[in-house]
Amino acid sequence: MFTDIQTPQKKLSKDIVKVTIISELISNSIGFIVLGVLFYLDDRFSWKDWIGWILIAITVIAILAAVWSTLIRPFLLYKYTRYHVDEEFLQLKTGALNETHELVPMTKIQAVETNQGPIMRKYGLYSISIETMGSSHAISGLQRDVAMELRNKIAHYAKIKEVES
Amino acid sequence: MMKPKRYHPLLMLFDVWGFVKNVFFLVIILFVLNYQSQSFLFKYGRYAFYLYTVITFIYIISKWLTQKYKLGDTAFHLYKGVFTKKEQTIPYAKIQNVNRHISVFHRIFKMTSIHFETAMSGEDTTIKFNVISLQEADKMEKVIEQGTQHDRELDDHDFGQDKLERQNDIDVEEHKEVPDEVSTLKTNAQSGRQNRVIHFNPTKRDVLKASFTSLSFLVLVPILVSLYFQLDDFFDLDERAEGLISIILSAWWLIVVIIVALVITSIIFGIVRVYLKYGKYEISSDEERVYITQGVIDERSFSISKQNVQAVEITQSLIKRLLGIVEVKLISAGNLKIDDDDLKISSLYPFLPEKRAYEMIAEILPSYEITEQMSKLPKKALWVRLLRPIWFIVLVSVALFYFQPAIWGLEQAWWIGLVLLIVVIYSFVILGYKNTKYTINDHFIQIKKGGMVTSHIVTKRDKIIEVKVFRSFLQRKLGIASFEIVNRANPVRHTELDDIPVAMAGSVYTWYMDRTKEIEIE
Repeated sequence: MFTDIQTPQKKLSKDIVKVTIISELISNSIGFIVLGVLFYLDDRFSWKDWIGWILIAITVIAILAAVWSTLIRPFLLYKYTRYHVDEEFLQLKTGALNETHELVPMTKIQAVETNQGPIMRKYGLYSISIETMGSSHAISGLQRDVAMELRNKIAHYAKIKEVES
Repeated sequence: MMKPKRYHPLLMLFDVWGFVKNVFFLVIILFVLNYQSQSFLFKYGRYAFYLYTVITFIYIISKWLTQKYKLGDTAFHLYKGVFTKKEQTIPYAKIQNVNRHISVFHRIFKMTSIHFETAMSGEDTTIKFNVISLQEADKMEKVIEQGTQHDRELDDHDFGQDKLERQNDIDVEEHKEVPDEVSTLKTNAQSGRQNRVIHFNPTKRDVLKASFTSLSFLVLVPILVSLYFQLDDFFDLDERAEGLISIILSAWWLIVVIIVALVITSIIFGIVRVYLKYGKYEISSDEERVYITQGVIDERSFSISKQNVQAVEITQSLIKRLLGIVEVKLISAGNLKIDDDDLKISSLYPFLPEKRAYEMIAEILPSYEITEQMSKLPKKALWVRLLRPIWFIVLVSVALFYFQPAIWGLEQAWWIGLVLLIVVIYSFVILGYKNTKYTINDHFIQIKKGGMVTSHIVTKRDKIIEVKVFRSFLQRKLGIASFEIVNRANPVRHTELDDIPVAMAGSVYTWYMDRTKEIEIE
């Protein structure tokens, strides 16, 4: 832990684990279908040898990545993502292995919006994205009322502008 | 208050001049080189050209007739559009910096072009006056300065904060009244000029030093080559050149003469080029603003309010480091270029003696304190940095070992290349480690880093718009971390510093949180 930094306490909704697993399963299946088609074509048109080897290498990497992204990452994501909003700053902490702390002054926030994908909608979750002059940040996976309240809170605090010079 | 005004009529001539410059080669192709040609392309090309010319002239004239501007108390009002009318209001307070350019065209008519740069995103972020009289331009700058001050004073009265920003004593009485009379403005503009303190004019020695450090004498050859290829498009130079070359190669003394002549002209050309660009350079400032003017014939100037300086960057290339010369740049949130040139003029003289540079920053921006006592990276950082490129080196070695490519028939090329690559990578790593220094000093942060070219950034806490502190798994095990600060600039500027002790990185975070004490709320 960074000794000086007060780690933010608010967590995402627990359902984000399921949402991430489902969406990862979908995207991974698409990936494997594409790989399957390539293997079939390789066999059917007897492509060069080295193409087959590359396909096998890609498959091995894809399996490892799939295990990581569906079985491990969703839990870490939930466990290690924290946020905090007060009238002065937005604080974000993310990452289990690579740990990141972000600190954004409310006065520098230019826009805040909520959005929701189809899988998130099934679980009533929202994602909040926050635009600043320098970058954009997202808090993905909040319950509807939490998300709305947070959005309104940020919008309210961000209305205060400091003199820009 | 003034009424909406048309732009200067010479703007039309300026636009025509721009048009002529653009179509110059096209005209030569259509009407000089291929005038006899009756082929479809050239015949209709000529008709299309007539049509294009007519449309351009109509456009230029109607643009002048419909575009107007007004200087309000606190904002620019711009009117434009032939069919769809558009009115734009841009508060003076949004202006980040002012760029001027006096080209040869402007010099003939004793005019200037002036651009006011804002930090807004999207289109029309620059308020352009491409042709304007010098007096009018001076007057505008004065109105804007007073308009912004008026604005800021109102804020001061309401909140009474921002004591930190306002280091300079502003004569409140004088700026209270926003003069609407042209005569008072004029006198003000003149008195403004007199209040300026000149900090730097280059001497002949400076120019000579500049021309050698910038390696400007190497520029002639590429210019000649590109000229050759451009002319080659029109005339068949190749055959003639071949004849010439065979004559030259036949006599050795001719080769020597030509090489000597080329070297001498290169050096003279380089010096003249640098002189034209940096010979007449002036850095001056008054209480509110910093002014930089450069160029002997083609004059460019840049001015920025001291409060709008987002950061100061001091850069040094390897040659400059050997000669003790630095370049100091002022970072503004607005655009630093005028027109589409790639010449940025935000730099205080690019070839300043190191000591003078630091003195000058203190003179020009008294609110910036630069300390030379900076911390170095811990030893652990070096180990991490030595480890990082290893996966890349292993990957390249495996690939090279597998293919063993022979370059120029040399069998050993692959491992010689590998050794060279490793040497280059690690010399950068070690240089980078040695050059990196940082410090947090009250409300300033200084970060110096870089391998061959070093960059030293100094900025204030209230100018930083975002902070990120992060560490990888490896960094965590070693008790080090990285951080990144974001500054307004054009484009937004991210500055990252890697591998400092974890406690220091944490304190950057808490240091930044304290900014709330010193910012001013609207």
